[in-house]
Amino acid sequence: MNQRRWNWHLWAGFLLCLVAFASYFLVFARFPVTRDVPWVNFLLFGTGVAFLFVGLKRAFGQPQQYRGKIAGPILGTLSLLVVGSFCFVVFYQTRHLPASTGAPRVGQKAPEFVLPDTNNQPVSLSTLLSSPMSHTQTPPKGVVLVFYRGYW
Amino acid sequence: MSRDLCKKAGYTYTFLSDPKAEVIRRYDLLHPGAGVNGQDIARPAEFLLDSSGVIRWVNLTEDLRVRARPEQIIEEAKKLN
Repeated sequence: MNQRRWNWHLWAGFLLCLVAFASYFLVFARFPVTRDVPWVNFLLFGTGVAFLFVGLKRAFGQPQQYRGKIAGPILGTLSLLVVGSFCFVVFYQTRHLPASTGAPRVGQKAPEFVLPDTNNQPVSLSTLLSSPMSHTQTPPKGVVLVFYRGYW
Repeated sequence: MSRDLCKKAGYTYTFLSDPKAEVIRRYDLLHPGAGVNGQDIARPAEFLLDSSGVIRWVNLTEDLRVRARPEQIIEEAKKLN
């Protein structure tokens, strides 16, 4: 059997695509600068696809020197699936939000509420607006209401 | 459970619980079925109120991944007199 070279570009490209996908959720999503626009991951994906392209060119263009006529298309397809899934999540899934047209707007009074805090004590919005915090003497100049997405 | 989370993370702000999503609904922020097990949860939103309870700034992000940064909220808060 002739000694054809291992087509490492195919495998490197595929691996880069996997790393590009996983690293967003594991690492880069923690920092707004790399989370808001996943530019690092796009770079990794781009590099991975470039490697795959080189590998495929070699597998089919120089079949006497390189292997990969079967592995190439398989890895290429899998990589496209990974890229596609990533794009689906960051361009579609995370924008799939309700319209919230009934949410209070600028200039309106924020609806009053009473909810339990972490010690199960009821806290009302009017109290938050009128009573000083523990380290100050005067009532606050304002209140920031943050609604978290989540359930625990 | 929230108390443990706050303690571990060192949060000093008031942390409230809305288990029936009542206030979430009052503010029209419900995201039905979007929880990990299909629960109704809130879509993310931030409101800046002045001392009389009037809303001065709202951030209803169009993308879950993009939230208001603390610096943005502080900048808006400085405009309150």
